[in-house]
Amino acid sequence: MRRLVLTLAFVAAGSLSAHPDIEEAVSRLNDAIAATPGRAALYLERGQLYAQHDDTVSAEANFLRAAELSPQLPGLAKARGALALVTGEFAEARNFLDAALKENPPDAEALVLRGRTLASLKFRAAALADFNTALERLVQPSPEIYLARAALLSDPAEAIHSLDEGLERIGAVPSLLLRALALEESSGRIDAAARRIDQISALTERSEGWLKRKGDLLSRAGHKAEARTAYTSALDALAALPTWLRDSPENLALATELKRLISNPP
Amino acid sequence: MKLSPLFFSVAVLVAPALRAATTITRGPYLQTATPTSMVVRWRTDLTEPSVVSYGLSAAELTSTAKASGVASEHIVQLSALKPATRYFYTVGAEPRKPAARPAGEDAPVPLGVSSFTTPPQPGTSLPTRVWVLGDAGTKTDTQRAVRDAYYKFTGTRPTDLWLLLGDNAYPDGTDYDYQKAIFEIYPETLRTAPVWPAVGNHDAKSANSITQSGVYFDLFTLPRRGQAGGAASGTEAYYAFDYANSHFICLDSHDSDRSAEGAMMQWLKADLASTRREWIIAFFHHPTYTKGTHDSDKDADSEGRMNDMRAIFLPVLEAGGVDLVLTGHSHVYERSFLLDGHYGKSPSFNAATNVKQKGDGRAGGGGVYLKPLSRTPHAGQVSVVTGSAGHAGGSTVPLGHPAMVYAFNEPGSAVVDIDGLRLELVFLNDKGEKRDWFSMVKE
Repeated sequence: MRRLVLTLAFVAAGSLSAHPDIEEAVSRLNDAIAATPGRAALYLERGQLYAQHDDTVSAEANFLRAAELSPQLPGLAKARGALALVTGEFAEARNFLDAALKENPPDAEALVLRGRTLASLKFRAAALADFNTALERLVQPSPEIYLARAALLSDPAEAIHSLDEGLERIGAVPSLLLRALALEESSGRIDAAARRIDQISALTERSEGWLKRKGDLLSRAGHKAEARTAYTSALDALAALPTWLRDSPENLALATELKRLISNPP
Repeated sequence: MKLSPLFFSVAVLVAPALRAATTITRGPYLQTATPTSMVVRWRTDLTEPSVVSYGLSAAELTSTAKASGVASEHIVQLSALKPATRYFYTVGAEPRKPAARPAGEDAPVPLGVSSFTTPPQPGTSLPTRVWVLGDAGTKTDTQRAVRDAYYKFTGTRPTDLWLLLGDNAYPDGTDYDYQKAIFEIYPETLRTAPVWPAVGNHDAKSANSITQSGVYFDLFTLPRRGQAGGAASGTEAYYAFDYANSHFICLDSHDSDRSAEGAMMQWLKADLASTRREWIIAFFHHPTYTKGTHDSDKDADSEGRMNDMRAIFLPVLEAGGVDLVLTGHSHVYERSFLLDGHYGKSPSFNAATNVKQKGDGRAGGGGVYLKPLSRTPHAGQVSVVTGSAGHAGGSTVPLGHPAMVYAFNEPGSAVVDIDGLRLELVFLNDKGEKRDWFSMVKE
């Protein structure tokens, strides 16, 4: 039945989009396929075009045709794996991505895709291995990969260590620092969490919000004197802002709250 | 083998000539401009040392900056520059012959000296001209007409910076596509004003944001460490920078995680909370509202990316005080009222609650849009879809999104002028006609 649906989609392909760019590119490929219907690469290209524009049914139909014509077509397994991941067919995605990596072992993008697939399948160790290898191979890994890897680590200390590796490599980016901060606090490492906030605060032109957050963290942990110091620093930071920014509704409210917290800590 | 003195004489005479035969095939172009630094990039047909000679006058290029080794893809950072200062520069160690250019392109031959002006210190109030091009790179006469209309409009007024809103090089964002659609169309602007791009779906055909690999990431040097202002993103897929009293935020609406818990969102919140600039301008590819060649009401259109940007990112941008949202993807021009709080489909748009200020934003019409100077969440933003710098939408475009004041199915580009607490935007079509304009003032 599924094959029938895909065949019908394949027949209908080319009329599914109203976007002129897609129509133009599909039209070009339709002409090429009409001229050389046995060229598998053209179906792969058309499938990728549909996948790029989120028509997963037409994409799959074209990939299927490409596979019929040339099962070992370079790039086809990766394209099919990426598509299966998007459509939530994780077991299928894994098989395709295994094949893609067999075809081209250094492909970091395929490794990240397979890492995500394996994570979705709850194969934690295998996913970690793929993310680790991808991170080794990439010249400029994005924070997303470090976050995905840390999410697989159930031990907070290991997760923090993993994030620290990212921070060392790509710099002190808020997305990694904030995840590390949450892990530090949830595992009771309040001083370490406070240092994370100091690190973020030092990087910004406006530290009042971060210092307030530090005060809240210390307050939750029962470190009242330190919390008051942080709140006072936040108030000082607010006072140092230009008037137009200091007097914004949010900052006026923040100043009021900080004064209350300093005089009457929770 | 014993070599004769004659051989050495010939070699000495010939060597410079051989080096001089190296041809610039791309650029130079300017990246990651900060008040004290500028990245200069260019490509040569043969490898050679990467050298930029620069100075405060065209006749005195007394300083040099170099990258190590030899390359054909040259990336040189000029550091310790003075803010708001015009620098003259040449690239390459030796005089060279210019690359052949197609007739009619905008470039004087690249032989000789170019110049750029460094951004002023952040927070300084200095008139700023921004050229905004969405979906430009079609390599067509339409793209050239849009370009020429802007050049005529701006005349001798220099462009301080320009934004590419994605789909910068059709059809596939390949190196060849970029060569023909960007580097051979805008050479003069490329070497005099820094370009800040966003990634679009066509660029993503040859690039991957998660691995930061592929043509887009090879071509551009963008500030992932926060070096141009704002918070460090850790990626070139999304980033921020300052220019004078404005803060620009580039989001990746195509490939990066768009979830509320994702890295891009965490970075955006931190960035918005960190800026002290008076104006905040966000730009990305997929529009929050459109009834052009895409429909932001259709969940399946662009795999929900427009929904994500409207429902997940726009609330955060509006809470952070954003003033202007610039997008492309839909090959039309659409410009909204001063809006806030519309995060659903167009039938849920309620002018009574979503329009912060009625009217067209014009001094001679419904009045300029007024916002408080103090950073106030949800004080209103204007959303502009300007995705027709390379082509317009054809005959079946519906337009008519209720959030929009004006919509035109015409090729064109937008020009943003910021002067102190006043921001003006003009949409210029390919014939040079000002089809829309509005002003926003902070007081």
